[in-house]
Amino acid sequence: MSENPQRGRLSSRLLSRGQEPDPRFTLANERTFLAWIRTALAFLAGGVAVEAFAADVFEDPYRTIISVLTIGVGLLISVGAALRWLNIERSMRQGRPLPMPLIIPLLSFACGVAMAVVIVLVVLT
Amino acid sequence: MRPTVPLHADPGLQPERTVLSWGRTMLLFSLVGAVFLRWMPYYGLWTVGLTAVCALVAGGIYLTQKLRYSRQSRGIADGRVEADVSAVLATTCATIALGVMGLLAVLA
Repeated sequence: MSENPQRGRLSSRLLSRGQEPDPRFTLANERTFLAWIRTALAFLAGGVAVEAFAADVFEDPYRTIISVLTIGVGLLISVGAALRWLNIERSMRQGRPLPMPLIIPLLSFACGVAMAVVIVLVVLT
Repeated sequence: MRPTVPLHADPGLQPERTVLSWGRTMLLFSLVGAVFLRWMPYYGLWTVGLTAVCALVAGGIYLTQKLRYSRQSRGIADGRVEADVSAVLATTCATIALGVMGLLAVLA
């Protein structure tokens, strides 16, 4: 590890001080971020799809609500992915423990609620 | 013949795995962009905007893949890879833009 490498302006501003971590960890963090972005993208596309193609399953107001909630979860995951990537980068540079993955319980909760809502609506209709 | 990109000796193939991960993300953006076009009868011109954002991101990833692999391989060899802040922020902003446009399309 080396200290104070040459960085871009944006990188210097966001990643502040600390020692440059092992490059393998930096790349692993980048891949994890990308996996979360793909998850967020699936939620976004799914939310739009629900509104377009689930007219036979869900009545109008419920369909829109489910769609908005699904897209909202996708938005939260994408923001959470970026924040987690940044927090992990900072933690690695400063030798601190890695932060708790708050978007994992968020994702689990959202999936559970979505499943429950869909099951209830399918049973009721 | 001299290789066009610097080689590395990392047995974990970190640059390959990372570039492949970007490639999967690029494919998903392309796929989602194409599917959005299918929904044009439901959402009208919103789908063009959604597809355009997806195409921009996918194109950006595609055009920077070789540079990315080169930079990461060099970084592995040097023992230092600068975190790709701009790529992460651009991808996040594009995903947020897609989400906001999707919300507007659904609520419109």
